[in-house]
Amino acid sequence: MSYGSHRVLDGLSIAVPAGSITALLGGNGAGKSTTLSLLLGFVRPNDGRVTVCGVDPGVEPDHARGRTAYLPENVALYDHLTAVENASYLLALSGNRPSRAAILDAFAAAGLQERAWDARLSGFSKGMRQKVAIAVAWLREVPVLLLDEPTSGLDPQATADFNALLHAIRVRNTAVLMVTHDLLSAVDVADRIGFLERGRIVEEVAATGTERFDIRALRARFGERARAA
Amino acid sequence: MPLWMHEAQLLLRSRWAAAALALLAILSAAAVAAGMAEIARQRGAIAAIAPAQAEDIAAVRAFVDRSKDGGQAAYYSFHPTWDAPSPLAFAAIGMRDVAPYILRVRALGIEAQIYDGDTFNPELALPGRFDFAFVLVFLAPLFTIALFHDLRSGECEAGRARMLEAMPGAGRLWWRRAMVRFVAITAALTIPFLAGAIWSGVAIGAIILIVVVAALYLLFWIGLAGLVSSRGRGSTANAATLAALWLVLVLIIPTLANVVINRTNPVDEGAQIALAQRENVHRAWEIPREETMRRFYANHRRWSDAPPLTEAFHYKWYLAFHQNGDESVAARVRAYRAGLERRAAAANALGWVLPSVGVQALLTRLAGTDLTAQLAYQDRIRAFHRRLRAFYYDYVFYDRPFGASDFDKAPRYRATG
Amino acid sequence: MSAMTLIARDELRLMRRNHVAVTAVLLLLLLTVVAVATAWTHQQGIAETRARHQRAANAAFEAQPDRHPHRVVHYGHFIFRPLSPLAAFDPGVDPFTGNTMFLEGHRQNTSNFGDVLQSSLLVRFGQLTPAFVLQAAVPLLLIFLGYGAVARETERGTLRPLLLQGAAAWSIVLGKLAALGLVAGVVGVPAMIGFALIAGQPGASIGPIALIIIAYGAYLALWSVAITLVSTLVRRRRDALLALLAIWAVTVVLLPRVAPDVAGQIYPLANRLQTDVAIARDLRWLGDSHNPDDPHFARFKADVLRRYGVTRVEDLPVNYKGLLAIEGEAITSRLFDRYARESYAAHAAQNRMVLGFGLLSPTIALRQVSMASAGTDFGGHQRFLEQAERYRYDLVQRLNQLQADQVSYADDTAVDAGADRRKRIGADHWQRMPVFTFTPPTPATLVAAGLQGLAIIAGWLVAATLMLTAATRRLGAK
Repeated sequence: MSYGSHRVLDGLSIAVPAGSITALLGGNGAGKSTTLSLLLGFVRPNDGRVTVCGVDPGVEPDHARGRTAYLPENVALYDHLTAVENASYLLALSGNRPSRAAILDAFAAAGLQERAWDARLSGFSKGMRQKVAIAVAWLREVPVLLLDEPTSGLDPQATADFNALLHAIRVRNTAVLMVTHDLLSAVDVADRIGFLERGRIVEEVAATGTERFDIRALRARFGERARAA
Repeated sequence: MPLWMHEAQLLLRSRWAAAALALLAILSAAAVAAGMAEIARQRGAIAAIAPAQAEDIAAVRAFVDRSKDGGQAAYYSFHPTWDAPSPLAFAAIGMRDVAPYILRVRALGIEAQIYDGDTFNPELALPGRFDFAFVLVFLAPLFTIALFHDLRSGECEAGRARMLEAMPGAGRLWWRRAMVRFVAITAALTIPFLAGAIWSGVAIGAIILIVVVAALYLLFWIGLAGLVSSRGRGSTANAATLAALWLVLVLIIPTLANVVINRTNPVDEGAQIALAQRENVHRAWEIPREETMRRFYANHRRWSDAPPLTEAFHYKWYLAFHQNGDESVAARVRAYRAGLERRAAAANALGWVLPSVGVQALLTRLAGTDLTAQLAYQDRIRAFHRRLRAFYYDYVFYDRPFGASDFDKAPRYRATG
Repeated sequence: MSAMTLIARDELRLMRRNHVAVTAVLLLLLLTVVAVATAWTHQQGIAETRARHQRAANAAFEAQPDRHPHRVVHYGHFIFRPLSPLAAFDPGVDPFTGNTMFLEGHRQNTSNFGDVLQSSLLVRFGQLTPAFVLQAAVPLLLIFLGYGAVARETERGTLRPLLLQGAAAWSIVLGKLAALGLVAGVVGVPAMIGFALIAGQPGASIGPIALIIIAYGAYLALWSVAITLVSTLVRRRRDALLALLAIWAVTVVLLPRVAPDVAGQIYPLANRLQTDVAIARDLRWLGDSHNPDDPHFARFKADVLRRYGVTRVEDLPVNYKGLLAIEGEAITSRLFDRYARESYAAHAAQNRMVLGFGLLSPTIALRQVSMASAGTDFGGHQRFLEQAERYRYDLVQRLNQLQADQVSYADDTAVDAGADRRKRIGADHWQRMPVFTFTPPTPATLVAAGLQGLAIIAGWLVAATLMLTAATRRLGAK
């Protein structure tokens, strides 16, 4: 994958199985955003193959997007609408018409406080907005969830809430891919972490045992690589 | 709830957009009301002709009845003509505020009467009328710009565009939104017009045509907004560019074109007609009266068997030299009119290229309030004047007594010609 | 260098680097040049045409052969309204009023052949004149250049650092205002140079010229202050732009059209038919010269006979028909004057009401100052109409007097073969009739007519400045 003469992704190969959370970890310019753009069908690869549930998003973007939920780094919604209206609108855009009760259930599951349900979004924190967006993704029951720096800027409590929610979503056999530059947030929830550098995966580690990842070891290796780059 | 209703809710819940749409609806309603009030005033003035005229003619009747002189009747009787407004005139007042829509004529030289104006305050006419055509041509584009300049750039700047576009069917999103805004703005603009048009009894075909034209005009501006926005320079730059385009397309090019058209099609004959007609009329006092009559009879065989003139003054000679005077400037009158028509044609030609001018031209044409309609009214006045002349000539040329009851036999102006 | 100067300089540099802004300024300058050139040549052309027509009309009048004076009363005279020297800058109502008038005995004709009835529909889109450019286009350009002045700093968060570095809020706002004011001056100057060229015409005087310059200066200053004010009050650039565009559309485009509609509905004018019928009615009441039993003319006849000590009109030393014509003309003219006064009063009430809208739209007030000082407002037209009526009355009465003095009653009433010849008087009489010359208004009259509008603009400027001061005080607090 390249923009002009600059190759952004080069030989990237990654598979995200259903019911798992994969984190792509990388610094600025490593190719995280481009990976998401490929999966969303915003850009098409020069060569190689991208499939989402067997569909090429570059060829059939609507099919791919119908199976995908995407949360940008800063979930921006409509400030002049209430949480329920926002959810209802976004769901309508993707062809879903859930009842109000279903939306409220999803809000409750996402941990959005009850008093916020019918409040206008102006004044919502980033965490609250994210919960609305997660509730929407939840109700869409899509098999793929793409997250862009989901926990950056969240306070520790909100991060913990979010991670718990992510587990609940994984349990529904959803394939989750998150891109982040923050090792800690990846370590917290991911089953697998891919280190992305100059457009390729330079290292991949999987969670093992109850400790899952050896953070010190990862940080040491990741820091080395970053310095070498 | 269908998706378009979601979009409508999204639009109307935004205070800026809701206020803009409400304001447009209010302005459109006010313009329709103002136009209807003006047309009602004009209809009132036309309705008031009959009693005033009856009073005026009664006085003439009283003193003519003593002499029974048809010449005096012709000389002193003014006959009203009027240009009744079409049902659609309220939507585009056009020239009706400056051009006379009531004109009284008598059976003397028409060229000295037909260019007379009516009383109007030029300072009020100067800025142009506040009518539906104005709201459509001038204001609606500004509202279109306000609602469309940030259709996509606004979502980008709010950080929502990427998420929205990651939704299935994202390509249709902008179309759908544009459609909802287009429908909303068209409704705010045309619903007051529809009410006024139905109230005024406008033909259904004309109503549909105007609504379609209004919608197309808005689409032109929407297209322009889309074109400007597609350069992706942000909402603020889009708004500034579009407002500048508005200034150029709606104010500057038409005013510049007016200067160019008037200079390339000079119309100098007006004053010349007036001067020449007077000269030719008054020359009759200096030449043998038989010469005047010969010339008149040559063109008007119908009365050539009338008894010859005697030494005394006779109105048949007076009326004949007035008509000779008119006929002597016929070529100039044609040239003058052709000049005016050339100017109108040039402006209409510009209307094919420039939507603002095109819409204004079409509306005033349909409403019968443009220069063409004004010239058509003059044609009807001329036709009526011919009937007046023929009516009086039948009395004057044969010295038939013109009694009180003959006043009722005089031709009546019919608004349709 | 003071903080204010630095900020002004920075703002100007930013404008210079903005290609769109530079293009807009250049286009506006081009537009100004085109407007000045077309208005100038157009007005020159009109002035020449009217002067030529007037010469032809005067020559035709003087070239009349021997005639009965009453023939000349009906031969009448054409007069053409001369153009005010400043009309090229602001033609005002000139295109909307007829430029020629036919003057004759006991009839008042309208002024005919106005541009508006001889032009295509485009004439209603407005007039491309230097005045229009300054009234409508320059404020729009200033909006484009200035909406972001302070709002940009607020939006990007650069305002607080500026304040923290010790720049006083007032020096920031004044700096921005100074930059915008400078641009306003730069784009206003070409129009003013054009105006100066126009003002160099013979007949233009310094008072009205100064008033026009002050009024336009105050108007552009007002826009500069208002733009800075909105930019200071609003947090986002786009909001500033949309708010300013809305203000522009309402005050420059919408209100100038709404105000006349309201005034026209509240103070309706009598139309010509109603006026003519009313005059005819009053005339029958005052004295009907066609009616041999009319009490007024019976009394008049008795008075004349008594004054000359004779018993029959045939024995009068003057032509009684001439005296009758003089009396008739005096009666009709008094009526014309009365109805004209009523009509002018209704016009004035309408125009006052429109000027009242100047409290909502300074553009309306400016138009009024501009037209009034240029002598192209309705007042200017009214001056022409009044002078024309005075001239008409004077001309007709001179001719009636000639009829009374130079044509004998016996000849005047004769119907024999040679009577027509005997009724005529020498052609030299026509050459001795005075020619119509329009007396232009004094500079003081023009200035006085524009002062009210100027006061409104000044009031606006003061109010906007006070609001800007208040907004500046709150600037740091946000």
